Amino acid sequence: MAPAVRSRGFIALALLPALLLFLVFVIVPIFWSAYYGLFDWKGLGSAKFIGLGNYEEILQDEIFWRALKNNLILVASSIAGQIPIALLLALLLLRNTLFSRFIRSAVFMPMVLSTVVVGLIWGYIYHPQFGLANAVLEWLGLESWTRAWLSDPKVNMLAVSIPINWSNVGPYLIIFIAALQNISSEIDDAAKIDGAVGWRKLISVTLPMIWGTVVVSLVLCISGSLKAFDHVIVMTGGGPAQSTELLATYMYNNTFDVYRYGYGSAVSTMIIVISALLIGLQYALTGRKKEG
Amino acid sequence: METNATTTGSAKLPAVKLALRAGGGLVKLLLIVYAVLTLYPLYWLFISAFKTNQDFFNRPYGLPHAWMKENIVRAWELGNMGRAMFNSAFVTVAAVLLTIVLGVLAAYALSRFDFRFKKAIVALFLAGLLIPIHSTLVPLFIMMRKLHLLDTYGALILPYTAFELPIAIFLAMAYMASIPREIEEAAMIDGSGWWRIFGSLILPLCKPIVATIAILGFLRFWNDFSFALVFINTQSLKTLPLSLSLFSDGFGTDYALTMGAMAIAVIPTIVIYLLMQEQIMKGMVAGSVKG
Amino acid sequence: MKKSQASRVGVTLALASMMLAACGGNNEGGGANGNAPAPEASGNNGNGAKQEKVKLTLWHNFAGDDLRAKTVRSFIDQFKQDNPDVELDAQAIPPDGYRQRLATVAAANEMPDLSFVYAGSHSTELYKAGLLQPITELTDANPEWKGKFLPGAFDPYTFEPNQIYTAPLGMSATSILYYNTSLFEKYSVKVPTTWDEMLAAIKTFNDHGITPIALGNKAPWVAQSTIIGSLADRVTGTEWFKNAAAQKDAKFTDPQFVEALGYFKQLVDNKAFQEGANSIDNTQAEQYFIQGNAAMMVSGAWTLTNLAAAASEEQMKPIDVTVLPAIPGGKGDANSITGGAGGGLALSSRTTGAAKEAALKLIYTLSGPEAQKAIAESNSMVMYDTEIDQSKVTSLYYKAFNLVKKTGITPVYDAILSAEGAEALNNGLQELMMDGKPEDVAQKVQDAQARSVTP
Repeated sequence: MAPAVRSRGFIALALLPALLLFLVFVIVPIFWSAYYGLFDWKGLGSAKFIGLGNYEEILQDEIFWRALKNNLILVASSIAGQIPIALLLALLLLRNTLFSRFIRSAVFMPMVLSTVVVGLIWGYIYHPQFGLANAVLEWLGLESWTRAWLSDPKVNMLAVSIPINWSNVGPYLIIFIAALQNISSEIDDAAKIDGAVGWRKLISVTLPMIWGTVVVSLVLCISGSLKAFDHVIVMTGGGPAQSTELLATYMYNNTFDVYRYGYGSAVSTMIIVISALLIGLQYALTGRKKEG
Repeated sequence: METNATTTGSAKLPAVKLALRAGGGLVKLLLIVYAVLTLYPLYWLFISAFKTNQDFFNRPYGLPHAWMKENIVRAWELGNMGRAMFNSAFVTVAAVLLTIVLGVLAAYALSRFDFRFKKAIVALFLAGLLIPIHSTLVPLFIMMRKLHLLDTYGALILPYTAFELPIAIFLAMAYMASIPREIEEAAMIDGSGWWRIFGSLILPLCKPIVATIAILGFLRFWNDFSFALVFINTQSLKTLPLSLSLFSDGFGTDYALTMGAMAIAVIPTIVIYLLMQEQIMKGMVAGSVKG
Repeated sequence: MKKSQASRVGVTLALASMMLAACGGNNEGGGANGNAPAPEASGNNGNGAKQEKVKLTLWHNFAGDDLRAKTVRSFIDQFKQDNPDVELDAQAIPPDGYRQRLATVAAANEMPDLSFVYAGSHSTELYKAGLLQPITELTDANPEWKGKFLPGAFDPYTFEPNQIYTAPLGMSATSILYYNTSLFEKYSVKVPTTWDEMLAAIKTFNDHGITPIALGNKAPWVAQSTIIGSLADRVTGTEWFKNAAAQKDAKFTDPQFVEALGYFKQLVDNKAFQEGANSIDNTQAEQYFIQGNAAMMVSGAWTLTNLAAAASEEQMKPIDVTVLPAIPGGKGDANSITGGAGGGLALSSRTTGAAKEAALKLIYTLSGPEAQKAIAESNSMVMYDTEIDQSKVTSLYYKAFNLVKKTGITPVYDAILSAEGAEALNNGLQELMMDGKPEDVAQKVQDAQARSVTP
């Protein structure tokens, strides 16, 4: 379109500051941390180079695989929960009436709260003695369903994933709203031509137009779920007996609590590798879906 | 969707119309229930902030027995929250501005131009989304010590921005993909340069996504504990999250003061959210004018 | 319109770059990292010039609003006043992040001159990494002060023979049995002194819908620190534990340790703890107990501090304290609680010259006779022979204070085990509360401890 030289200068100036900052403060530490993963190191004093020793141990580490499984539960629940709920809400709340402004703000509020407050509240909801969840079940006559939600290893991962989903709908809601804003006039035009209404309009007109944003949201969802940390630390600390351990809490625990810094760094590198694989897979799937 | 259905259904039979309106009412009701569920914790935080410790435990859901304004005052003084709030505001605003400027510019370059290594650069930014921050603490600490950045505002602003850039870039890229290229082509014919096109055409169109990035960044920076804990030494440079965790010692927590401090800290985030939400919506007006 | 937007971008960019510049400038100004003072200070010392102040950094976690934290901070302020020639940078770091922060700077070999460290792996690992130096010259110079510490006060900090690395400014007493006398009277239950009486009491309370023992084991160190240490010591005796921890002539898979875990399992099986104890935190369990929902609670001296802040004197009145019951045929002393030296200030190995002099002085200020008395009077136990003014403390604290004077002290498990070993035991106890087996837990503890002890 334009003289090549002019665009090249623009590209360089537009891209380089971000790239430089990002390389120095994010990429360098990633590799640095991966490098620590090659050592048997307590995080103090001298370190011993052991090559891929930590990674060999990871492959046989029961807790690591359990943590990965728990993370995958989170990934699945957030893809099935946060994104559809946020999309539905965004479509319902697109108009800027007082009512939808109010609901939108309300949905976002768990996000502004400190995770400590979220953890406390849900701790009370799940409380084994005076918890709301059990009280409601009893009221419904489902006494056999009551349990200690956060300490029963059969259900506690599920119990933990609900508050995580609940508090993370907000960001996706505003992301979708912003995307829909951009195309709102076009949607109607296109839909008029197609004569599409209701679900058909959503699937044949709206969704394709914001597909890029949906894909980015999926990426954020997957990466966010794989490095999830705060809510679990507050609600269960990864326990009891590591039954709600996540990759990031396990990494933290090794790094800062039990003096296995090298091993923790290796776990952290694995988090990045696994996330990259999953996101690669996701791109392969969503890319195809778009064409089909 | 529902509202749309009711308006287009005007020509249908009255019974159908009524059913649709009832459906719309039901949806509204469900939305209100959902809103109550998401607002309750905020309400709970504010009532808890005015309770004594005893009251907090004895009647966790009730209103305060006596309204303890002292909690707020004590937390404010003890946590040195005035200073901390200034620091948090400075660091957060600076990092948000930097994130927006660098992120949206980079996203524009990546979404509108083809050049060598573009895919590699996008993949690199993608990798930034995946990294668990705790494993970067020691490398960043050592690096920033060498750069003489430790214990300055920069020790927070720069890593905050760097870690937020991937999200900003990906959101902005996805958003820009739906801005028609014809706009720029028209401007090109007018003889405008890229900077001008970016500044006067693209950036205004991006208002909704810029506001979104601003909200997300604001929340993350405002609430960050780990970086603020490790990279800042001097008392007068400390940010809010450190004040919030002062009242818990691993053996027990002083909930009266913790809740008091948190209630103070959450107010700016609510205000910012409400302001930014308006920006997202103003974008709509601009968008429809262009269409 | 368009123009103004373009210029706004320009302004934003300019602002951002100004901020960056400001950040850089700040750094040159005064912000130099707090760990630099050691070399500077020794430089001063060489000159003997008096106008340059001695710089000293101290990191501690007495950051909160509780009496003890306030007391310690007041002594720090006192030190600042008394020593105008010392420029003390005292950092009160939130306890939640304290270990993480210290671990990060330790990894980068940037310890502050003085840092508050705990007995057990926390201080031991710092020592092993060569980051600490002894303070023996201080204890040698003040033999009277040293002599008034209770027996064993320096044990966890004597990393080499005759070299002391810190003087504790508190005591951890971790397995006091708190019980609600009104509930015991109401259901005419005898305060248990034998294991059978304990099981009988548990049964009676359960029959009446009262939780026998409140436990908040969400942070998994709680059951380990408060219950298993004392139970196991009664079964195995202290010698065995020390050997097993060192992996010399004893292992955690030995039958006596499996038996000890079995006693804990008996408590679980007899429903001694309220349901979901693994998801309740310690503070919530204390409140559950003080509100009369549970008859007993096994907890440390920290409960005294917490209750002083969050319970009324009226609520505390019916509470009394004793030791856990004896175990039939046990090798250990039944009249004992687990406990030992609390944390103290450790001196960085890089601190020399005038800074070191000042640091030693500060250690004495914070763990000297006056401070010990003041800390004891802030409802917090000390490892030091001191008299306290009864009117200054809560009645419950006074009872506990006197109880601890009369009982033997046996080691807290996580003060002796490696970090990994303690972690395995913590998780193991949570497993026992789910459906784990004592044998399996013993094996895991043994594996973890063996791996971290043998190089």
